[in-house]
Parts: sequence; C-alpha cells; structure tokens
Amino acid sequence: MTPELVSTTSVAQPTLRGQRWLSATMFINAWRTTEFRIGFFVFFGLIVLSVLGPSLFGVSPTKISVTDKFLPPIGFEGGNWAHVLGTDQLGRDLFARSLIGLRNALMIGLISVVGMFLLGSAIGMIAGYVGGWVDLILMRITDAQMAIPVIILAITILGVSRPTPFSIVCVLILAGWPAYARTARSVMLSERRKEYVRAAKILGASDLRIMIVHIAPNILPPIAFVAVLEVARMMIIEAILGFIGIGIQPPTPTFGTIIADGTKYLMNAWWITTVPGLLLAISLCGINLMGGALERARNKLLQGVS
Amino acid sequence: MLFAVDFFLRRLVQGLVIVVLVAMLIFTLLRVVPGDPVRIMLGPMVTAEMAEETAQKMGLRDPVPVQFIRYAAQVISGDFGHSFVRSAQGGSTGGSRGGDTFDASNRAPVMGLILTALPYSLLLAGLALGISLVISLPIGIVAGLFSGRWPDRLALYLSSLFVSLPNIWLALVLIFLVSVKGGLLPAIGYQNWTYAILPALVLAIELSPVFIRSASVAVSSNMMESYVPSGIIRGLSRPRMIVAHVLRNSMIPLLNVVGIQAIGLLLGSLFVIEYAFNYPGVGLLMINAVFQRDFPVIQAIAILACTVLVLVNILVDFAATTIDRRLQY
Repeated sequence: MTPELVSTTSVAQPTLRGQRWLSATMFINAWRTTEFRIGFFVFFGLIVLSVLGPSLFGVSPTKISVTDKFLPPIGFEGGNWAHVLGTDQLGRDLFARSLIGLRNALMIGLISVVGMFLLGSAIGMIAGYVGGWVDLILMRITDAQMAIPVIILAITILGVSRPTPFSIVCVLILAGWPAYARTARSVMLSERRKEYVRAAKILGASDLRIMIVHIAPNILPPIAFVAVLEVARMMIIEAILGFIGIGIQPPTPTFGTIIADGTKYLMNAWWITTVPGLLLAISLCGINLMGGALERARNKLLQGVS
Repeated sequence: MLFAVDFFLRRLVQGLVIVVLVAMLIFTLLRVVPGDPVRIMLGPMVTAEMAEETAQKMGLRDPVPVQFIRYAAQVISGDFGHSFVRSAQGGSTGGSRGGDTFDASNRAPVMGLILTALPYSLLLAGLALGISLVISLPIGIVAGLFSGRWPDRLALYLSSLFVSLPNIWLALVLIFLVSVKGGLLPAIGYQNWTYAILPALVLAIELSPVFIRSASVAVSSNMMESYVPSGIIRGLSRPRMIVAHVLRNSMIPLLNVVGIQAIGLLLGSLFVIEYAFNYPGVGLLMINAVFQRDFPVIQAIAILACTVLVLVNILVDFAATTIDRRLQY
C-alpha cells in the first residue's frame, strides 16, 4: 500500500484552495459509488447496534448461565430467540459478546490509526521540511522500523509485558507510523518549494505555523482517506492478538478471545468460533468497501489533475 | 558488471545499518519490559540469592549497551547463543525442579532450533505463494484486460472480500469444514506435507488480494500504452501482443509486490497461522519463546526475519533495474 500512497499523493500540484476543494470532491465522488454506500450503511448499522444493542436487548455479555450453555443460533435445532446467535460454553450470550467485542475492536482500530497517522505525519513532515541531518536520521529510523513485521513486534512486546488496551494501542502505533512518515515526507518535499509556502515565510510566519496552518491541511486529507483501510487491518491484528492471548484480557470479550475459547469446542459447538468471526468479517467488509471507494476516488482525481 | 557491484555494495551497507538498528531496538525492548527470565529458567523454588547469582554469571545484570555489544560480537562470529529454556535433548528445562538441575551447558543452541523449524516454514511459505499466484494471476490479468467491465468489478469484490476475512477465523472455519466435517485434509501438527496444505490455503487467500490488484493495475495501464496499438498496426496479433509484450512489461510491478508486500505479509501471518495450526515452524518457535521469555530465540528470529526482508528488498530492486534499465536505484 505504501508505494501507491507515495506515487499518487506526490503528483498533485494544485493551488491551496483548489486542493481543499479537491478533498471534498473526492469524498463526494466516493459517496456516489454503490460500494461506498453499502459499506457505509453496513458499518454504521453495526456501530449503532454495538452501542445500543447490549442495553436494548437486555442481555448481558458476561452473565453466566449454566443451564443455557451450548445453545446453537436460531435456525438450528435447539436454538431459541432469547439467544439469537446462541451461547458459549458458559451459557453467555454470543450476540451480546460479539457486539462488545466489535466495540472494543473498533475503538482500538480507530484510536491506533489516528495515533499512527498523527505521529507518522508529524515525523514525516518535520523530516521533509527541515531536511539535512534531521531528515537522514529520521528516515533511517523509519526504514529500520519498517523492516520489522507488525506481528513480530506486537508479539515480542505484548508477549513479555502486560497487555492492556493502552499498551496494545501503543504497540500498534509504534508498528504503523513509518508508512505515514514516508508518505508525508515525500509529499512535503514537493510542497515546501511552492509559492504559498514562500509567501508565508516572507510574511514572517514561523516554521511551525507554516507546517500546521498552511501545509498540513493541504497534504493530510488525501493520506487520511487511505488510512480508512488501515482501520480494518488493525481490527484484524487486534483479533489476532486476542487469539494468541496477548490482547485485551478476559473477562472483557474481544473477537480474538471468543474465537480462541471456541476452538476447544469446535467439534460439537462450531458456532462459538464461527459466528462472532462472521460478524467481524462483515464489519471489515463494510470498512474495506468504504476505504476502497475513497482510495479509488482519490486516485482517479489525482491522476486527472496531473 | 561494475554497476552490479556498486549497487550491491551500497545497498548491503544500508541494509546492515537497518538490521543493526532493528537488533538494538528488539534487544533493548526485551530488557526494559518487566519479567525476569532467570525466574522462568530456575523455577519458583530457588532463593533470591541463587537467582541473582545465576543472573550475574549469565551477564543479565550488566548495563544493556554492554550486553548488546557482547551479543553483537557473538552474532558476528556466527553464534546466536543458547536457548534459556530448551535443553539440547528437546525438552523444556524450566520449571520447579530447583537450582541443582539447572545446567547452562546443556542448552539447545538457538541456531539449531531455528534450522530444525525452518524447512517446515519454507514449505508452508512456498506452498502459500504458489497457491496464491495460481488463484490470483488469472483473475488479475483478466480483470486488467477487461478494465472497467464485469471481470474487473468481480475481481474488485473478490479481493474486498478476501481482505476482510480475518486469517485466524478463516483458519478455524477451514479446519471445521475441511477437516472435521469433510475429513479431506489433516489440520493440526505435522506428519507429512499434506499437513501444510490447509494453512497454506489460508495464507494464500490472505495474499491474493495484493496480487489480484497489482496484476490488474499493471496489465490495464500497459494496455493503455501506445505500444499496444502500434504493435497491432505492424501486424502482430492481439493475443501475441498481450502474451509477449503486455504481460512481460506488467511483471515488473508485480515482482515488486511479490517481493516486498507479499514477503512482508507472509512473515507476519506465517507466525500466527503456524500457531493456529500448531505447525512446527519458526513462527510457533517464536510464539512459544515469547511466552517462555526465551530472549536468545526471540532476538535471533526477529533479526533473521528482518534480514530476510532487507535482502529481499535489495534483490527485488536489483531485478527490477536489470529488467528495466530506466529505473535508477
């Protein structure tokens, strides 16, 4: 994904107002596509469900009820309407657990992507703007960080320290920022030579002001569009961490822990692992459809401009 | 020839800097996080003095930079050290047997552990790459030839779907459907090569969106180049044009993707999938090592993984410049 980011964001050379308008056009163009709307409605439907669901249906995700254990979802023999997606080995309602899991995954995905976007863009912009030794050192660190696969880094850190939501987000940010730093730097290199930056400098604006007030609003929105896809990737990684046992710890339900718990009962209670995963896959599909539509709208527009 | 020497010298030096930085990062991280490996090595029955003495003897209480330099010197001479936990006979020596059974000389060498596990991982990775190319290249090429029409959309939806499937979930669903219900393929552990098919399939599905996308983008952009109509005017047939020229030119970006993105993705997912299938490769070794705080094993695998990534990067860039000399490194 990174090479495309670099090649397409650096070609755009429009004026200041032009580019702000450009971001809005990209969004509108993306909104016009069917995929974006399908993704949008699926995704927001699930968000509403995960926020309101547990209180709306009055089922607790952690209430244990031994008499109700191993109930299959409705549509299968023995399923009942009190537990739409069935129950797990302790009689906990899987639907409620999945919704809470979705909420946790979304929070971690969103916060970590925002974090890595801010950190990466800041580092990349500074490297590109200042140049020289600062640039060289920051970019070597970026290269080194990029050479460690995300999963290896996450397993190493979370496996030997205590996993909390905060430390998980930190690890994901640490693993994800280099891509944004590279992109932001390459765009910054072409941006800092432009007329409006020179103009601001002559008027006496400080470097910090130029970067934050003048350049950032121009170069960041196109990068942010592609970051939507990253939310889905981070949600998958969160599930993987939970599965290995180094994600958010029980009793808080997450997709990873639900799936891992269910593996022991795969033979006779297949729904414990499969059904929550299906919900996760559907929400990821929603995010990916939206992100993909945004990305294509951006690429189309940027190619047309250059 | 001179070009190649110059290229490799430059890039290898750069790569070495990166690997050293990564090694420093992982080494420091492992030492600043809580959790004392000596406790796990010796078990809970030994006294604090005993544990402290062993730690001193093993150099675990020295300042981190000193430890790192000692470790680096070892690695340069080809020795990745010995496992903290596994004995040379294969069993785990950590536990509650007290201090007397602890024998520092009877530890499995890290390199040996990795070399035993590596063939399994290579088999799995190779199979996964093969399956994924077989699935995705035809789809991607057809999508690129009919850009904007239904095969293109179908490929788009298919890759959106594949990207959205969490690999661990897919692994369990396939285990359930293929092994438990269908009884077609074995799933857990390793006895012969058929045990690698199911995990490889999961990895292939995870990889294929990347291939489908880059193949279709490369083919469709090459079809729009002016050399295609001019070749046809000169009397080449359209199929010949596509097979001999368009596909050849489209291979360069694809090579890039196979090299960098696919290997990067594989290095991460391989670990998780090996864990999910209890497949005895490097990934399972690494995850177990993390849980046992077996620092030498973790460090060695992380350094090797990163070296592989850096080397693949260099080779891919070299291959790209020899295929297309317009590219500069």
